[in-house]
Amino acid sequence: MEFELEGTEQYALESYQWLLERILMDMGISTMVEKVRFVIRPDQTLFIISMRIKHSGSKRPVYDIAEMESKEGGTFITIKDESYAPRLISSLWRLYGRERVQQLTRLEVFVEDVPMEELADMKLDPEEEVRSQLLDAMWRLLPEGLKLRNEYFNDNVMTIVATEHGMTVDFIEEAKRVHANMIKGPEDD
Amino acid sequence: MYEVLMFDGGVHKIDELLDLIADVGGFVLQRTQVQVMVTLTIAIPAEDRPLIEKKTAELGGKIVEVPLAGTEIAVIGPTLGRHHMPHPICDIAEHLRRYGAITIVMGLARGRGRKTCQISAAEKAIIEEYDAAIFMLGNFKECVTHEKIDLYKDIQIPVVTVVGPELESLPHCEALVCGVGRKVERMRRSEEIAKLEEIADRVKEVIDKRRKEIEEDPLFVHPSEVKDALEGMDAVQECLRPAPVVLHVDGLRVKIPYKEHVRELEELDVYGRKLKEIATISDCRLGDSTIIRIKTKAEVEGKVR
Repeated sequence: MEFELEGTEQYALESYQWLLERILMDMGISTMVEKVRFVIRPDQTLFIISMRIKHSGSKRPVYDIAEMESKEGGTFITIKDESYAPRLISSLWRLYGRERVQQLTRLEVFVEDVPMEELADMKLDPEEEVRSQLLDAMWRLLPEGLKLRNEYFNDNVMTIVATEHGMTVDFIEEAKRVHANMIKGPEDD
Repeated sequence: MYEVLMFDGGVHKIDELLDLIADVGGFVLQRTQVQVMVTLTIAIPAEDRPLIEKKTAELGGKIVEVPLAGTEIAVIGPTLGRHHMPHPICDIAEHLRRYGAITIVMGLARGRGRKTCQISAAEKAIIEEYDAAIFMLGNFKECVTHEKIDLYKDIQIPVVTVVGPELESLPHCEALVCGVGRKVERMRRSEEIAKLEEIADRVKEVIDKRRKEIEEDPLFVHPSEVKDALEGMDAVQECLRPAPVVLHVDGLRVKIPYKEHVRELEELDVYGRKLKEIATISDCRLGDSTIIRIKTKAEVEGKVR
């Protein structure tokens, strides 16, 4: 994990680097982060954290992890790769609602009124879970008093800018700049 | 002058030690017995310490110094949130207990933030009931030196401030320990334990100073003597809360409701005088407890009005 620190107080920067390392280690997701950038200026009450996530493999299509069978009134799915079961079911719940997704046994699911072709196009993103965990880590890290927060995120970069009262245009501009620089990737830094 | 010590040993012939403590005019402040092992926190006249040490050696026990025994200390963080509270504050409180102090931890209602941090009058009054306060203020130098110092500016008891960044000094506090900021895990590394020791040392100095100030105009009776009298009260004996009577440097906290027992407390006999004559008795801010502040000799004997 690579750190970039920028700010007015060395102690604060180093301690927050250490805190983040410990939080990620506690959550067991240290290896998921490629690069972190901190901008901490206590004199302006500005705290920016930006994180770039490592790619942990590509998205897997549903037919790769489950067998599907078209039935009257819907599609019957038998999950083959157990490790994807929670993610698949939660994706189905999110897309079609709990009423239409019946979990018959642990690995058998029936989705009402959805053709097989539609489900076959679905892809599962393994990074989705990691992203939510990393967001949790960032929320744990952010100083409690800095209640005004703006978030910027795309596929693999998350940036949060936080201040206490009065989010200024300058802060937002700076956060956007940090976010854009992180997106560019290692070769462009 | 009483000295507070801790005896650590077995139950065999412990009665001999208890008799000796009573004979020299001392008190047992706390007795904890686990099977055949006993820990006694005792207050004895300083000049009789060699007698107690001799008896302890005879019984195969040991005497441990507990420099903070007889004190109640508040460890205060900006909030009770996970950002401020769990690790450093609890570690400090736990470490001070090893030196005999009774500690409590407290989070302020609106203590977080830089410009928005506040302390209420009620919170200040609660803190002032303790012998000393430790304030943990965080990692940002700018925030600590410009804003957070206002949290403890008007507090009338000694304050030890614990901050992350290295600072030469801070106003309004009696002692400063740097290098302990936010933590997400327990303080168990050797350098962190050294910091806990440093905090305990600063607290000891602050308490010693307070005790010396009190010695200049000594209390009419030592708090442990009042404790001895209080323990005869039915309400205290029936109290199920841990440590129903807690010693302070200049008084006591009795964990029985003030309103119900104030008359009984006022009339309590201490060396032929009523407790109300030798102490001020007041309601505790935290409810269901009573604070007793012992007057000085000069106040009781009428030299000061």
